[in-house]
Amino acid sequence: MTGLLDRLRHWLGLGRRTPSRLSPAGAARLGRELESTQEIEFDCEQVYQLLDQFAEAVRHGQNGAPWVPLIRAHLDKCSDCRKEFEALLAVLQATWA
Amino acid sequence: MPTPVARDNTEWISALRQEGEAREQAVAELREILVRGLRHGLRTWLEPDSPSLESLAQETAQEAVLRILAQLDKFEGRSRFTTWAHKVAIRIALTELRRKEWRNVSLDQMLESEEGEPRERWLADPAPGPELTAEQNDLLGRLSQIMQEELTPRQMSLMQAVALRGVPLEALAQKMGVERNALYKLMHDARVKLKRRLAREGLSPGDLLQTFEAK
Repeated sequence: MTGLLDRLRHWLGLGRRTPSRLSPAGAARLGRELESTQEIEFDCEQVYQLLDQFAEAVRHGQNGAPWVPLIRAHLDKCSDCRKEFEALLAVLQATWA
Repeated sequence: MPTPVARDNTEWISALRQEGEAREQAVAELREILVRGLRHGLRTWLEPDSPSLESLAQETAQEAVLRILAQLDKFEGRSRFTTWAHKVAIRIALTELRRKEWRNVSLDQMLESEEGEPRERWLADPAPGPELTAEQNDLLGRLSQIMQEELTPRQMSLMQAVALRGVPLEALAQKMGVERNALYKLMHDARVKLKRRLAREGLSPGDLLQTFEAK
């Protein structure tokens, strides 16, 4: 794990330029990002663990589970997980007997 | 191929753990179910009925079956077994599609800004635009300062790449050889730091939206 973190630090340390001024569009985007930011959020792995249950719940219009809002919040912010969910839902909608 | 058997979760697990012909039939059926699912699930990525979609579906199903067989103990029965299996297959397929989509882009290119970027970008030229109001200019200056003070260079690079340039976390993670979960956590830490700092400054995300959105 330490090796992975070191590699991450190394790679992300490449861009050491001084950031310039925000653009208005960037500030608006930042506002949207921060508006939905919570201190406690599900990460990608937690969402993946529940994605099959969540897709079935959405497929059947059942949104009562306590973790549903946490998954929705993550999917709003993470396009990678959102696309996996959308693909899985498409499968269920097409194949569910 | 024998007629497919309708199975519940327990029967799937049992069949896949058996030896011999019964297992082979279950594996073949699972593989076919995954291929059919992928044909639907990948339609927004690849042309329906195209050779590339069919090829990816077949290859992915093959790999997914192996992974599923190795992970049977992880299935907890909280969804249909086939839904869980489709989830595994989709993760494999989309990871491969992202790898292909970004294979010719280096990590440096993902992280660094470059000439010819779209005008709507996270960081703009230092000089304020004449069309901006004094209030907007003032807030942009404060935000830029806050970001420079609160974010590490790594977090700044990541936020630019993901939030500004739309680079998928998965594509970045593949180039770095890390899990995308690690990058999501890094992004979350950055967002939380900025939100806390804004609150200390008497600002809210809503203030940013009110000042900069749809103007």
